[in-house]
Amino acid sequence: MKVVVQLALAACACLLAGCYGFRPSSGGGQISGNVSRSINANDVALPPGYRIEPIARGLTFPTSATFDERGALFIVESGYCYGEVWTTPRLLRVETNGAVSVIASAGRNGPWTGVAFHDGAFFVAEGGALEGGKILRITRDGKITAIVDGLPSFGDHHTDGPAVSPDGWIYFGQGTASNSGVVGEDSAKFGWLKRRPDFHDVPGADIMLAGENFETKDVVGTESRRKVKTGAFVPFGTTTQPNQIIKGRVKCSGGVLRVRPDGSDLQLVAWGFRNPFGLAFAQDGQCYVTDNGYDDRGSRPVWGSPEVLWKLQSGAWYGWPDFSAGEPVNTEHFDPPGKLRPKFILAKHPNAPPKPVTTFAVHSSADGLDFSRSDRFGHVGQAFVALLGDESPATGKSLEPVGFKIVRVDVRTGIVQDFAVNRGRVNGPASKLRRGGLERPVSVRFNPGGDELVVVDFGIIRHDKTGAHPEQGTGVIWRIARVP
Amino acid sequence: MKKHRVLLAAVAILAVAIIGCSSARRGEAIGRPVQVSSPEIQRGQIVFQQHCHRCHPGGEGGLGPSLNNKPVPSFLMKTQVRAGLGAMPEFDKHEISPDELDDLMRYIIFLRRAR
Repeated sequence: MKVVVQLALAACACLLAGCYGFRPSSGGGQISGNVSRSINANDVALPPGYRIEPIARGLTFPTSATFDERGALFIVESGYCYGEVWTTPRLLRVETNGAVSVIASAGRNGPWTGVAFHDGAFFVAEGGALEGGKILRITRDGKITAIVDGLPSFGDHHTDGPAVSPDGWIYFGQGTASNSGVVGEDSAKFGWLKRRPDFHDVPGADIMLAGENFETKDVVGTESRRKVKTGAFVPFGTTTQPNQIIKGRVKCSGGVLRVRPDGSDLQLVAWGFRNPFGLAFAQDGQCYVTDNGYDDRGSRPVWGSPEVLWKLQSGAWYGWPDFSAGEPVNTEHFDPPGKLRPKFILAKHPNAPPKPVTTFAVHSSADGLDFSRSDRFGHVGQAFVALLGDESPATGKSLEPVGFKIVRVDVRTGIVQDFAVNRGRVNGPASKLRRGGLERPVSVRFNPGGDELVVVDFGIIRHDKTGAHPEQGTGVIWRIARVP
Repeated sequence: MKKHRVLLAAVAILAVAIIGCSSARRGEAIGRPVQVSSPEIQRGQIVFQQHCHRCHPGGEGGLGPSLNNKPVPSFLMKTQVRAGLGAMPEFDKHEISPDELDDLMRYIIFLRRAR
């Protein structure tokens, strides 16, 4: 009997070694020592019959790619990264030999999160951390005009997209100000709260609050020991009451909107997203949206919330801030270890949220996507999605790196399969693995012929307890195609 | 007594070796294709995608620990799914039915063996 007990204890010790509570966070950006970017296509693993090569390197914070009608490649550099690093947002043309030339650059209102080419011009989502979000129209000779402005982009998440529908509308996303509806100490850590102490989330329709308020340190005022209470959808330090009504508006937080290319007829298509970063239209004209899940941080942390791929339904509410991937957050599944279970923010929900097409790993950051359209590449009809990778520990603990790869999704079944990953015994970004493969893929785009997939690789972002530390000049553009 | 201590130490070392040294990575890209053929395993793959993938992506580690390199028998895994363990929540029969749980176990073991 004593032996059985001892063996059982040994087995328990082995099991507990895998347990969440016992292990420290070990995300992909948590790297010790110096990091540098080396490039080696052989360090990227692909299914048989595919090859990858770098086509441009040394970029700073690239986020998106597009092609013009002649098949020339263009990319945007963001001009901003978490960790509050500001550079100049730029639209660049990439030549076949990897040389880049500047088409347009502008100010300090990044991040530029996406670009699409339509009807002879480029449409760019200007994330707007300093001046508010905008949709820009940029001509071939670099003239910039804002066709939409005044989007609520001063907080955690920004203006995203854009994507052009088959009938010529410009669709784009607008991320939320906060993690889960409440401005808190984490908002100050992001850097924006002291800059914009009155900023908060705005719903897409009138809502009724449950009246939950959350106590934190006063990170805005001058008395650091003072405590304040903050409700949802209101500025920091403002409380709310049960059944209080918050007015909605079209330029809302967590929405997908559309506008005509000339800037007319701005419409809210759907809301209740958290950060609808990637938008793409499948061959049947259906729009799909990637949406970043909640983090385990701030006044109302939500644990275990996956990244989501949605089918866009006009008029629907997608669940934020009370549902994650269609499931209510006030259940055991989302209990943050050692913290209180989230309660509903809303007294009434506009509708039961839709069910997702699929979900991706928690914290993996599902971002830009595109659909395969040609047998010359394969997997026609499947979505290829860039997983930027975790930003642990800021977003919550990860036991191992998640993301840092390209996956493909059968949107009929929801099954997710790895497509381009770094070689090695474990997953992770190239910098952590000390190899030359993918770092942080942030978006993908098929060329007009459909036989090549361009991968935009943001570059190195290290993470520690003080926050994000991006490395300029480490962005890469890759190209994947079938072996001839 | 000495023989039992030696046995205990050997079991512990073997378990650590199995857990620590084998890779949890699977998939066509990494050279360990997961060719699902039987209907039960296909159903199990869907259950895994819906409920497990978010914390154990592809059976690798993430928010939760890796599964593919853990020699845990089915009955223990089923117990953990139903009862939860630590940060892992429980999944009752309304979320994962008994038949779905059986299919899920088949898929997890199939994934573990994919080489």
